[in-house]
Amino acid sequence: MQKSSKKTILEEANSWIESNQKVVIARVIQTWGSSPCPIGSKMIVNEKGDFLGSVSGGCVEANVINECIELIKNKNLFKKIEFKVSDESAWNVGLACGGELIVFIEKINS
Amino acid sequence: MKIEILKEIIKKKSSKEQFAVLTNLTNGNSEIFELGNTLSKEFESYKKEIENYYNLKKSGIIEETQVFIHNYIKPVEVIIVGAVHITQYLIDFVENLNFVITIIDPRKYFTSQKRFKNVKIMNDWPKEAFKKIKTNSNTALIALTHDPKIDDPALQHALKNNFFYIGALGSKKSHVNRCLRLKEAGFGKEEIDSIHGPIGIKLGGKSAPEIALSIVAQLVSESHKL
Repeated sequence: MQKSSKKTILEEANSWIESNQKVVIARVIQTWGSSPCPIGSKMIVNEKGDFLGSVSGGCVEANVINECIELIKNKNLFKKIEFKVSDESAWNVGLACGGELIVFIEKINS
Repeated sequence: MKIEILKEIIKKKSSKEQFAVLTNLTNGNSEIFELGNTLSKEFESYKKEIENYYNLKKSGIIEETQVFIHNYIKPVEVIIVGAVHITQYLIDFVENLNFVITIIDPRKYFTSQKRFKNVKIMNDWPKEAFKKIKTNSNTALIALTHDPKIDDPALQHALKNNFFYIGALGSKKSHVNRCLRLKEAGFGKEEIDSIHGPIGIKLGGKSAPEIALSIVAQLVSESHKL
């Protein structure tokens, strides 16, 4: 996980796009319980899977990155992803904190 | 999200004013909202709820809708009196926090822009500086010169204007003297006791970066009580 010295995540997203990369932005839009990143937390992902920022402090990032790469490949513009403890797949990606969250991923496009 | 919206968010963030980004979760359309702005057709039917969330500075999916609002909250104003060594470390520590810093120091040799990049510096006596800047109960003061003729007028201004955080550098002994001077100037015990002196939470360190860290920790803690 790289962190540039001064640029914010959104500024970084802008420069990724200016260098012709495809970028998806993931934002936390809903949380319950003890999910570590508050609503509004964001992460950007490019087609290679490079990413910056965080949506859960490590728990579901790998899954979100894969979803973002999938989104770049397909025709859809956005997707809502729910991570719930009650959901079996959530255990697979490991929400160890016991929190629940919804992440909204969308392409940044002109 | 359209690239234009992304660019507008970046621009608005640097203006240091509150604004919100609205997103329709059913189609991904986003727009920027500020109080007084007219909403597009996409969002106008949720005007009341949007304004409510905006005023509460609350982010989330508006209840019983598919509208997500993310509020970008105005940063807390922090005034540092004294462009000293500790101040240089302070600026580094607050870089990723939601504070906007103004440094006041009448001593020219301290306030060179080379020492402080990307920070507003006022080469004035505090009394003059405070005539030029707006302050209120959401402002914090960090007094670091430990020179009464520079720090004291700033502390008096901060007390009169109910700053939410006032801290002053100096030993326990010099703080006692400072309190006596403020008492003589007519300030009450409760007001004087609201000053964090010696400044910072107890970390045990004495070096400039350690003191800066202890001040930032106290400032963050107090800002969450706002």
